[in-house]
Amino acid sequence: MNNQTLVRGLFLAAISLLFGLNALRYNIGSFAHAGPGMFPFMVSAMLLLIALITIVRSRTIPLVPLDLNLKNIGLLLFALCAFAVVSKLLNMTVGIAVMVFVAALAGRSSYSVWRNVKIAAGLIAVAFTFQKLLGLNLPLV
Amino acid sequence: MDALHNLAFGFQHALTLQNLMFCAIGCTVGTLVGLLPGLGPLATISLLLPLTYSIPTGGALIMLAGIYYGAQYGDSVSAITMKIPHASSIVACIDGYQMTLKGQTGLALFTAGVSSFIGGTVAIVVLTFLAPTLGEVAFLFGPADYCALMLVGFVCVSFVTTGSLLNGLAMCMIGVLLGCIGTDVNSGMPRFTMDFAFLADGVGLVSVALGCFGIAEITKNLDSGEERTPFNGKINLIPTWAEFKRIIPSALRGSVIGSFLGILPGGGPVIAQFAAYAVDKKVSKYKDEIGSGAIEGVAGQAAADEAAARTSFIPLMSIGIPENAVMALMMAAFIIKGIQPGPNMIAGHPDLFWGLVASMWVGNVFLLVLNVPMVRYWLSVFKIPYSVLFPSILFFCCIGTFSVNNNLDDIFITCAFGLLGYLFMRLDLDAAPLMLGFILGPMLEENFRRAMLISRGSFSPFATRPIAGSLMAVIVVFVLWQIVGAVRKSRNGGSRAVNAAVADAARS
Repeated sequence: MNNQTLVRGLFLAAISLLFGLNALRYNIGSFAHAGPGMFPFMVSAMLLLIALITIVRSRTIPLVPLDLNLKNIGLLLFALCAFAVVSKLLNMTVGIAVMVFVAALAGRSSYSVWRNVKIAAGLIAVAFTFQKLLGLNLPLV
Repeated sequence: MDALHNLAFGFQHALTLQNLMFCAIGCTVGTLVGLLPGLGPLATISLLLPLTYSIPTGGALIMLAGIYYGAQYGDSVSAITMKIPHASSIVACIDGYQMTLKGQTGLALFTAGVSSFIGGTVAIVVLTFLAPTLGEVAFLFGPADYCALMLVGFVCVSFVTTGSLLNGLAMCMIGVLLGCIGTDVNSGMPRFTMDFAFLADGVGLVSVALGCFGIAEITKNLDSGEERTPFNGKINLIPTWAEFKRIIPSALRGSVIGSFLGILPGGGPVIAQFAAYAVDKKVSKYKDEIGSGAIEGVAGQAAADEAAARTSFIPLMSIGIPENAVMALMMAAFIIKGIQPGPNMIAGHPDLFWGLVASMWVGNVFLLVLNVPMVRYWLSVFKIPYSVLFPSILFFCCIGTFSVNNNLDDIFITCAFGLLGYLFMRLDLDAAPLMLGFILGPMLEENFRRAMLISRGSFSPFATRPIAGSLMAVIVVFVLWQIVGAVRKSRNGGSRAVNAAVADAARS
């Protein structure tokens, strides 16, 4: 399964099936009077064709291994979610600080609390500047 | 004379203190962000789009255009000084970096700056005269013609940006499908919303752009783990007269090539750079030096890059169809500000259209007099460690997503697209065609359904209407050419494999 082309084909097939099968739930209609399902179904069918070609090609072209490193993307997404949740529950100032501290775990250099404090303070200052100068409606306090 | 009168009208708008300030801010911030590793014009515009929400429409569009060409200049600076390639500055890495190795960094940066100015100026002349004419032609377009034009755009962008027609088309289609999420305009039925109320209006453009470009780009840089070495060389920006004279012919050639290629569907800066570089290698007086750090190798491509960036606004503003992913994002910015680009834009909003055209030249001047002399200060951005930089980019993603609807839930959608963008990247699928598909998808569906309704379910207008027929013929020829190429390649590969096997067998 460690084959980039094969996984790509399967991934495309999954997306096409997800949209294509759901499109069948809506009225398809006719070409003259297309229903809401017609267009997405047609596009999904074409995408499925490309997916199948990709899967077949994966057997004929040289193997390229799939390089997945889920640690960094996981930490970044967790930092974003933490920002949203904390901003909702408390305020965005705390949300920014939490985001910086979580995201920094994905950094290459050693984890430094003092550096994170400085980054968070700088970003909070930028957020206040955006709020005052650009009129962005940020719930900072 | 009309065009000159209109241009003068545009300068009246562009030269107000407020618009000058927005243009300068756009150019400066665009250059600064464009310099950062991996952040090309597409990611830069995505990140900075929310900054323009609270700005008046004219100023916002001027600022966004400034961000666009500022980011392009920033790209070429990092390419010349540190050989950090972005999609829009690959060619600048070749001779530009060679000049840096020879200790001519200042000359290379000056050449890029002056050539960009020449390219931009020529393109603005083309834009001034061609856009209104093309706007009149656009009134001849019917729904089938619009569909065919969008399909040509998909095919060209897919091939140019990814190099693989199959992968590019797949991404376009995913974009089109994502564009279907939300309420169907014709029937009012919610599609693919999974009963989430916040999806009734569809997926937010900023969430898709920031997820697929911003977050995916940060992860790519973190995964690669390489630290950039900041540029510490000497920069002497003043060239000799002999060196200056060498810039002009190449820059003019590049300007013409870039202006032409920028208008074509799927065209734009990347293809224009390669074409200008190839032409200079053939016809330049110093063609033997190109590739080893020649002024012509930088001048031609820089002028073409800038000219194409400007003329790619022509199809967007006169027909209403963006012809590459950056223009698709610009179109979204127009729509966010309540302006529908298209044939009616010039007549309906002459102040915006001509103001934007004039501001492009003002932006050119800013790049030349502000950014070129200050380039050594811009380069200090590379002294900031990535561990400090990436939380800041992430912060911009958060603020950008939130500011669209003042809704924190949108950040979860950005997260989902961040993951999707990461998977695309690891599966070697370029997200740029997805962006074009996502923005053009609803227009494509609307025009397709309208064309089929008019023809009572017959596909014949796609072949019989002169514009649609010609465009569909271009698509068919291109796809056939690709298929024949692929078959030949596999046959050659197959016969080579057979020959190798026979040779192995003979040896054993």
